Amino acid sequence: MRIREPAQRVSPKARLLWLLHSLAAFVVLAAGSYIVARWIGTSRWSWVPDWMHESWWIVPAVVIALCLPALAAEPFVRYAVHRWELAGDVVYARSGFLTREWVFVPVSRIQTVDKSQGWFERLLDLATLEIRTASHAGSSRINGLAYGTAADLAELLARRAEQLRDDAT
Amino acid sequence: MTSSTAARLSPKVLLIDPVRMLPSLLLPLLGVLFAGGFSPVSYAWAAAGLGGGVVFAVARWLTFTYAVEGDRLELRRSLISRSVKTIPLERIRGVDIASPPLLRVFGLAVLKIDTGATGQEGELNGVTLAEAERLKAVLLRQQDAAPAQAQDVLFKLPRRWLLYGPLSGAYLLTPFALAGGAIGLAFQVGEELGLGRQALRAGRELVNHPDLLILAVLVLVVLMPIAGGIMYALFTWDFTLRRREGHLVAERGLLTRRSVSLESARVRGYESVDALAERWAGVVRVWAIVTGLGDSQTRGQLLPDVPRAVAADLTARAVGPYTGPLIAHPPVARQRRLFRAVAPWLAAALAWAVLAPPAWPGLVLASLVLAGLGVPLGLDRYRSLGHGYDGTRLSARSGSLRRSQAVVEQRAVVGWRLRQTVFQRRSGVLTVIAGVGAGRGGYHAVDVSREQAVAFTRSVTPEWVAPFLVND
Repeated sequence: MRIREPAQRVSPKARLLWLLHSLAAFVVLAAGSYIVARWIGTSRWSWVPDWMHESWWIVPAVVIALCLPALAAEPFVRYAVHRWELAGDVVYARSGFLTREWVFVPVSRIQTVDKSQGWFERLLDLATLEIRTASHAGSSRINGLAYGTAADLAELLARRAEQLRDDAT
Repeated sequence: MTSSTAARLSPKVLLIDPVRMLPSLLLPLLGVLFAGGFSPVSYAWAAAGLGGGVVFAVARWLTFTYAVEGDRLELRRSLISRSVKTIPLERIRGVDIASPPLLRVFGLAVLKIDTGATGQEGELNGVTLAEAERLKAVLLRQQDAAPAQAQDVLFKLPRRWLLYGPLSGAYLLTPFALAGGAIGLAFQVGEELGLGRQALRAGRELVNHPDLLILAVLVLVVLMPIAGGIMYALFTWDFTLRRREGHLVAERGLLTRRSVSLESARVRGYESVDALAERWAGVVRVWAIVTGLGDSQTRGQLLPDVPRAVAADLTARAVGPYTGPLIAHPPVARQRRLFRAVAPWLAAALAWAVLAPPAWPGLVLASLVLAGLGVPLGLDRYRSLGHGYDGTRLSARSGSLRRSQAVVEQRAVVGWRLRQTVFQRRSGVLTVIAGVGAGRGGYHAVDVSREQAVAFTRSVTPEWVAPFLVND
């Protein structure tokens, strides 16, 4: 016996969302490492090794060379990994990039269902569904859902949770 | 429904309040005296300050009342602005009675009311012991009015078991904390009294004589187990666990006697913890896993250090036994534990050797020694790993230097989270986390195989994973 993957993919536009996140992270990392390396490299501190004084640009170059492939791959890997499903009154979701997570939350234990939209998400008409139980480990977030899907799912889960409510937290 | 007229704290509080205010008043008063050069005017100001403190204490006492009105407790404060804190009795999860030494002299106690929500706690700082017991009974009264099997003592800690205390490693840093506190106080007071320069000079003297410093540290280290043991004994003196009308009541302490009530219906399991030395002595500490208990680390303690068999018997009677076996994790988990215990130190040794060619052989050696110690540590961490389910409770164990085993009722599980890092994926293992709305929120079974993950989640909550299983 093995656990299969959840049936539903998230919205295709989620790739664009994660690409925007990657881009933002790339800008921060590249600019940050450039500024720090230049600051240290052009200083006259004695503990700085010689090669750092001469060619401090190596540091941001290495950072970019290491991060660029990962950041470029992340949106597409995430789109392949992030999936969800509602079956048998259990929400099953898979997520992650380097570390993967599979979360099973029975609707009967759900306390609140929220949908939230960040900046980029609003731009792309996407939403994140947050399903909370009495435990953080038993709570789930589904990123990159189309807004309509998230709204419908939130509505459905909230209604069903009320029907099933048993207070064995 | 019980209803009583509004009551005030015991007037004896007024005798204690000045003493309690002293530490915070002392420095300003001294400051006023010094600033005034001990002139009569400065004495007058200091006296006025003291008088103001007393008036404030009286006013505070006069304007604070509490009352049980029907099915709720109301705490009214009208010193500066009027405020009423209303705590519905049904929300009260526990009542603590503590009597610190000063209060105990006057037969008083502090009553703390826990409602599960943070910021919603109530406190009655200074009621008579009798009143505290009466209030506790009123606040925790059970609807089903249990028959008067009132005081069922489950366990009383024999004095000689207090000797296990230092093994737990708790309070071991006490000497350092005390020394640090004393130095801090010396500097602060010295500063106020204009002795800052002398204190600095003394400090420099100490730095100039490293042998003195080393001696001081050595003395503190030798004091560690002794002071730790004394602190442990003070806090766990006469630890008693009782069952009383649907509550588990743990009472302990020599100077400050604390009593914590845990509603049995909210106890979902327990977590037993033993450090390396405790395992060697065969003793274990136990905490209750309770829903909606804030600060469960200090308040949820069910047992101090007691022999393993006693702990097993007691948790079985007070909460419920775990009768199943613990399933060992796959051999690849052993390799992972070993790698994680050894590799960082090897990498550090290598880094020291490469980065600082001639110097620091000591650091290289130290890293290598730690890497060597990592071998037994890693093996022991693997031995600790285990998980299981006996039909009513699930259990998961991990850790070496601080090993902990959680036992949780099946009905407390609110969800599952399986987690797999890149390295775990390559080894074909994952971490199963049982989401529980109590205690730490999640209990981990680290590095189980894929088959074990399916078997574990399926055995505990078959209907939650069944829709997503396929046959290969």
